[in-house]
Amino acid sequence: MEKLTQAQAELVVKTMTDVALANEAYFSDLDAVMGDADFGRSLAAGFRVVDEKWETLDHSSIGALLLNVSQALTANTGGCSGPVWGTLFMRTGIAFRGKTELGLDEIIEGLRSAIEGIMKRGGASLGDKTLLDALDALVCSLEDSLKTDDHSLLDAFDRAADAAYEMRETSKGWVAKRGRQSFTGERSIGTYDPGIIAIGDMAKAIAAALRQ
Amino acid sequence: MKKFVDDPAQFVRDMEEGIYLANQDALKWIPEFNIIVRADLPEDKVLIMQGSGSGHEPAHVMAVGPGMLDAACPGAVFAAPPMDYVLECTRLLRNPKGILHLINNYQGDRMAWDMAKEMAEAEDPDLAIGVVIINDDVAVQDSLYTVGRRGVAGNFFVIKAVGAASDEGKSLEELVALGEKVNGWTRSMGIALTSCTPPAKGTPIFEIGEDEIEVGVGIHGEPGRRRDKIRPATEIMDEVFEAVCTDLPFQAGDRVAVMINGLGGTPISELYLLYGLAAKKCAEHGLVIAKNYVGNYCTSLEMAGFSLTLSKLDEEIEGYLNAPASIPIRVF
Repeated sequence: MEKLTQAQAELVVKTMTDVALANEAYFSDLDAVMGDADFGRSLAAGFRVVDEKWETLDHSSIGALLLNVSQALTANTGGCSGPVWGTLFMRTGIAFRGKTELGLDEIIEGLRSAIEGIMKRGGASLGDKTLLDALDALVCSLEDSLKTDDHSLLDAFDRAADAAYEMRETSKGWVAKRGRQSFTGERSIGTYDPGIIAIGDMAKAIAAALRQ
Repeated sequence: MKKFVDDPAQFVRDMEEGIYLANQDALKWIPEFNIIVRADLPEDKVLIMQGSGSGHEPAHVMAVGPGMLDAACPGAVFAAPPMDYVLECTRLLRNPKGILHLINNYQGDRMAWDMAKEMAEAEDPDLAIGVVIINDDVAVQDSLYTVGRRGVAGNFFVIKAVGAASDEGKSLEELVALGEKVNGWTRSMGIALTSCTPPAKGTPIFEIGEDEIEVGVGIHGEPGRRRDKIRPATEIMDEVFEAVCTDLPFQAGDRVAVMINGLGGTPISELYLLYGLAAKKCAEHGLVIAKNYVGNYCTSLEMAGFSLTLSKLDEEIEGYLNAPASIPIRVF
């Protein structure tokens, strides 16, 4: 299977930034249903700094870039989203340290480390109706692709994006057990989790951007 | 709100500027990250840092100096420092012997410090960072901002002991073990008579009646065990002392350090009155007071109130408490 180049990895981060900035109001509205309506604005505040500082970030390797992104996100994203999204980029940044291309096995390893890091940071588990569920669905799909020895990385990304995207409907009937939504208990059944939606939207946009 | 303040949003910055200007020979100040650091940063020992929120002064920005903290990076008033403050401070202290992070047990602090530690280790895999979590408050098991007990005035004893031990050249591992021992033998509980007003908030953090006290108050005004009516000082000390003493429990014959800590708005006269009562309670319980501390060590802005801390001593800890140290607060 081909590898993900540094240019493609940078496009992944750029695409996540675009999605966060384009959906600032939409993500906040989703959060307003059960939370405190700040998710979209918090996330956009962090990614806006990533966007503004893009040229000055360390582009010497994929890992170095992700660590820089992590710092910018953690320092500028309000609420719990800062440590959570910061950990996503920090753990992958550590896993991809010094690398200028990534095999699917390395990508999976980095994302698994990120999931573990976010669990440790926020105390959430899989099934708590958080962005971890979308990330896990994405990684499980990538793991399946690795096992089947499919030769297209982009096909694997397409399937993973679909898996992450589908988690929004799968999890809709679940009770939120972490984060601000959890305060509403049973009332969270039948609502979308903004973090799960954000990961699904980003994954879809990444798969499409890499095709272009 | 009636305070000596210009721009409330700049309160911590402006306070730190004053600390720096009063101690230019001893301290350096990095306003961008709220960092106060020793000007004479040693190169041959484990370096120690603490963060926490502001509003608890002298903890921790005024506890920086030889034999105590090497640096502090507080957040806004009653808010944990952002991760990048902790990371920047950690980078500043980078050295081959290692860095000790002292963290009061609050969720925001633990998250920020945990991330900064991982980030600093990612930048420099050879860097050794040790952690001691401080949780001496016996009032409540969990509270608004914690899973587990809160860290309050007892952190002074942890800082003093590890500060002195690091000067002696103890290793990072030894300092972590010592810090955990001191924390494990230290118990505190506080009483509030009044609320307090963070400058950027402008209004009191909680309401309390003229004749009411909060028993077991947290240092950010978090609720304690219960609301009660004001009573004679002896009755209040009886309750606080029993709560603290029975928790470890301290036992007859133990050598202890006793601290009557002011929460900011209580005059030193009342603190000494309380010390007198605490000393009698120690005698009743057969505790031998080897060291005493009366004054403001860990405050909640202008809150009137006090906390009692008992810390069990052994020869090692007592030696460290007696070792020389120097911080910006001075009488002479």
